[in-house]
Amino acid sequence: MRKFTFLTPNSLSEALLLLREHAGRIKPLAGGTDLMVELRDGDEKLDSMDYALDLTVLPELRAITLENGNVSIGAMATHNDVAASPLVRSAAAMLAEASASVGAQQIRNAATIGGNVCNAAVAADTLSPLAALDARVTLLSVSGTRELPLSAFILGAGKTALKPDELLAKITFIPLSGWQSRFVKLGRRKALAISRMNASVALRFEHGVIAEARVAPGCVFATPRRVSSAEALLIGQVPSLTLFEACGKAVSDEMVAVTGVRWSTEYKYPALAAIVRRALCEAAGLAEAEA
Amino acid sequence: MSKLRFVLNGKPVETEAADNARLLDVLRDTLGLTGTKEGCGVGECGACTVIVDGIAVDSCLYPALRANGKSVTTIEGLSKDGRLDRLQQAVLDHHALQCGFCTPGFIMSAKALLDQNPHPTREEVKVAIAGNLCRCTGYEQLIEAVLDAAGRE
Repeated sequence: MRKFTFLTPNSLSEALLLLREHAGRIKPLAGGTDLMVELRDGDEKLDSMDYALDLTVLPELRAITLENGNVSIGAMATHNDVAASPLVRSAAAMLAEASASVGAQQIRNAATIGGNVCNAAVAADTLSPLAALDARVTLLSVSGTRELPLSAFILGAGKTALKPDELLAKITFIPLSGWQSRFVKLGRRKALAISRMNASVALRFEHGVIAEARVAPGCVFATPRRVSSAEALLIGQVPSLTLFEACGKAVSDEMVAVTGVRWSTEYKYPALAAIVRRALCEAAGLAEAEA
Repeated sequence: MSKLRFVLNGKPVETEAADNARLLDVLRDTLGLTGTKEGCGVGECGACTVIVDGIAVDSCLYPALRANGKSVTTIEGLSKDGRLDRLQQAVLDHHALQCGFCTPGFIMSAKALLDQNPHPTREEVKVAIAGNLCRCTGYEQLIEAVLDAAGRE
């Protein structure tokens, strides 16, 4: 186990001061489900880490609330907090479903949504629903507050715009009230499996016609985002299996256009198209017949 | 080393822990409670599961100093006056163990479930123990044992 000093801040402002004082040598410690493993493994990216800043002692970072019409999820909300939140379940069911699919009970009791976002793993389960929600992140430091869209925060696999003295405080988005949304994950098994691929979709209907749509695949792009070409296919249409198959293929086409043909494309192309189709069928309440 | 004060199996404990110690290390090495097992050490197997303030966590991922002021329950805290807890008894009655290495973790996950949800469905039991791996007995007997224990209040 790598040696470090464990710091317990008495307040959020003290936490920010500690981050500034030890910038570059201090790591915020959220649930610990990734960081504790990396410390145990002696991961070289932690070679400069001398301090761990415990964030579980700051309850103000854990609240899930409605603020000025936006859903605000504190960075220290655990996956079980998110999955169980009536607010998240009604405003963004796909995000609650994604959090419910993370790891297993012990992991979801500790691991946080903020940790998931800051680790910025390509396979992070909550990134596709957050992309579909056009989520924004609020970053705090002693210098002040910054708010960024998620798309500007995540710069690539494991890379974010978080500065060494900054803390991710909360994630916010406009609730998709009255929408139908769904998260579908393809993993090697149900529990304790990271996503191989996943899909988040949200649909808003007007008189049986799709009026608005969000489609975001997960684990596919280096930075999570929506696929506008796939969304455009859906607008103004009545749900049908043919339509959703075409939309799934449009997402796979976008994957190939962005990442190129790889050794895995033969598997990924139909698999991604199928999980997008499945998510759309489930969101629309349409039976998914054998393709 | 830093001071560590918490409630362990209902009794206040005061000890010291290295800043980088895991709760698992303190329980096993400092306090001698070896019922909690280290399996994978990375949060995949659940053998080290303990209950902290009512929720099940992997003690291999839990910084020891984070336990300051909290209430921790380990497998040693279940039996009372030499009598097994209903979950422990149900595991025996259903032959739900062979080597036994994973058993304490399983029982702690199941206890956390029953403490919050005294009458779980079969599906809820499966979700609660999905983070615990068993490589010899399998899961059916354990699920039966948990459902049986739930009916034994």
